[in-house]
Amino acid sequence: MIDFQFMLELIFMGICVGSVYSLIAHGFNITFWTTKVVNFAHGPFLMFCSMLILMFLSIGFPWIVAILLEMFSISIIGVILERVSVRPLVKSPTSMGWIVATLGVGLFLQALATKIWGAQALAFPAFIFESTDYVPILGISMSLQYLLVLGTGLGIMLIMELVMKKTIWGKAMKAVSFDPDLASVMGIKSKSVVTISFILSALLAGVAGLLIAPIYGNVAPDFGMNIMVLGFVAAVLGGMGSSKGALIGGMTLGVIEKLVGGYISTSAEHGVAFAILILILAIKPEGLFGIKAVQKV
Amino acid sequence: MNKRYSKIVCGGLLLSVFMVIGTACSSSGNQVDGDPSETIKIGMTSALTGPYSEYGEGNKRGVELAIQKWNDDGGINGKTIEVEILDDQLVPDTAAINLQQLLDDEEIVAIIGPAGSGPAMATVPITEANGMIHINPVAQTPEITYPNGTDHGPRKNVFSFALQNDVESEVLGSFAGEKWNKIGLIHESTAYGKTGMDLVEGVLEDKFSIEAVAREEYNQKAPDMTAQLAKLKKAGAEVIVCVGLGADLANIRKGMSRLDMNIPLVATNGALSLPYKEGAGDLVVGTIGTMIGVFGDDPLSPEAEEFAEAYSEAYGKDRYWGDRDNPQLFMSLSVSNGYDAANVLFEAIKNADSTESSKIIEAMENIQNLNGVNASYSFSETKHHAIDIEHIGLFEYVKEGDEIILVPYEK
Repeated sequence: MIDFQFMLELIFMGICVGSVYSLIAHGFNITFWTTKVVNFAHGPFLMFCSMLILMFLSIGFPWIVAILLEMFSISIIGVILERVSVRPLVKSPTSMGWIVATLGVGLFLQALATKIWGAQALAFPAFIFESTDYVPILGISMSLQYLLVLGTGLGIMLIMELVMKKTIWGKAMKAVSFDPDLASVMGIKSKSVVTISFILSALLAGVAGLLIAPIYGNVAPDFGMNIMVLGFVAAVLGGMGSSKGALIGGMTLGVIEKLVGGYISTSAEHGVAFAILILILAIKPEGLFGIKAVQKV
Repeated sequence: MNKRYSKIVCGGLLLSVFMVIGTACSSSGNQVDGDPSETIKIGMTSALTGPYSEYGEGNKRGVELAIQKWNDDGGINGKTIEVEILDDQLVPDTAAINLQQLLDDEEIVAIIGPAGSGPAMATVPITEANGMIHINPVAQTPEITYPNGTDHGPRKNVFSFALQNDVESEVLGSFAGEKWNKIGLIHESTAYGKTGMDLVEGVLEDKFSIEAVAREEYNQKAPDMTAQLAKLKKAGAEVIVCVGLGADLANIRKGMSRLDMNIPLVATNGALSLPYKEGAGDLVVGTIGTMIGVFGDDPLSPEAEEFAEAYSEAYGKDRYWGDRDNPQLFMSLSVSNGYDAANVLFEAIKNADSTESSKIIEAMENIQNLNGVNASYSFSETKHHAIDIEHIGLFEYVKEGDEIILVPYEK
């Protein structure tokens, strides 16, 4: 007989954990829109943001100042990433250099964080909600910090959908994504659009770092890499470039992970994520909500 | 689009490869040169950098403090002590390569081993084959010292100053078995976690005829353990017994709270570490953990007092020391174990009046009731480990005003 309480616990926790993956997947989408580049430094960006906040807090700045300084710092790093490791490499459409370049920047940030703050996990204080703040839903305690991440992911999805479909900025991004040279001819500052997309992606990493770090309670230099991989699977599952896909993909992945862990084996929890990645690429490479690209010959 | 996806998948695969090898590539040395006839040189491989460097760096500090103490007192029989320390980042292969490099140095007369069970298991067969004395400061798996089980003899060359799994599990299992009937078990998926929990299960079955209601495992640094905890809850556990490290325990404790599991958490020494206390915050109150009890004594023993003074003079009251006037309990496993290990080794070299491994080993086996920080040390031909049940205490987090402190658990 099915224990509904147990199943509900797994599903609710899956949604919560999945919302973390969604938040990371949103960050992947922004740079994908303009350059078709998946920024594999996104996870270390997230870690670096958390570390920067911790540093500014330890200096004695209030939360709001620490967050603003962190956002400013990570924007600069985002610009450097785009200028140094992406722009020179995306000129050639067949180049795969951006994969190694963004990954290289990520590993560099990880090493830099180890050098500056040490290799050990550092405690991250509660932000907005304490770790003991819960709200009961259908008899299950839902962490308010997780719900905040879920709400933020939903909000980001709505804003992104609105921007892409209703604003001139969204159209510019689509144009740059399709053909940056043609977009330039049409008067769109392609390079600026790309740079701004990397700044926005870095800012999203900042938001993710700020909201996710209190859930784990500790931040170590390898913190971002581990969850970035699952965020990447969520982005591919939902459809790379789709905001709706990022949200639904993340939550679907989280729920599947927890159900597999609860009913089959906890050892298979993360393994199933990669099985999904392989399956989705084999059966539906554009993901659940991605747009199938048609190449005219 | 499909080509782009192929690239993305390649990127994902590259990422996975880098994540696996990322921490395994660097090593650093700390070498002191001197006249070989006037020096006694010790070799050490430990995790000095990387995500698991807390024990390795602490052990290094302990060994260096002991060397400083002996050299200030004139060295061993007039000879200055030197140490060459290589970084293994707790990677078994790197530790084995480091060890080979140390053994190639003919001046090195003794080895102080790595700060974890994996690399320790990778290095002991090499020193055993070589016959070189090998000191195990922290790795908890009993097989490092007793390859055929603790009811059989030890490796001739290995002496352990660690809190062995069997000793810790005996205390943990006995405590849980005495107090609860429905016990849920959870452990990390490493050799440390698995062997430790096997031993706890053995104690529960043999001494109390209790079969755990469920047993779950997790990978170190797993971001979420909800599924494991939900299963333990479903099985009706009245207590959670855990073998794991501090940061993971914090995650477990938060997960328990999220699932409204208002039952006690009893865990190995990781529960008394700073990452647990910092990570779980106020939720630590009520958690019970096992630990070498020396820094819980009030007043401290003269040896612990001397060590504490030397440490604070050299490093100040830092992260290893903790946030109170006396060193935190956890320092007995991160620093003072290395300090004791080096002191006892030097005493044996002094007593042997020789740097031949066979004579140092004989002198180690003859050491009786030598007072150190963590324990009074006695070894024999059949007993090569130092820390026993009588050295272990149970400690509990309690709230005192606004502060959360650790106090000896009152049964």
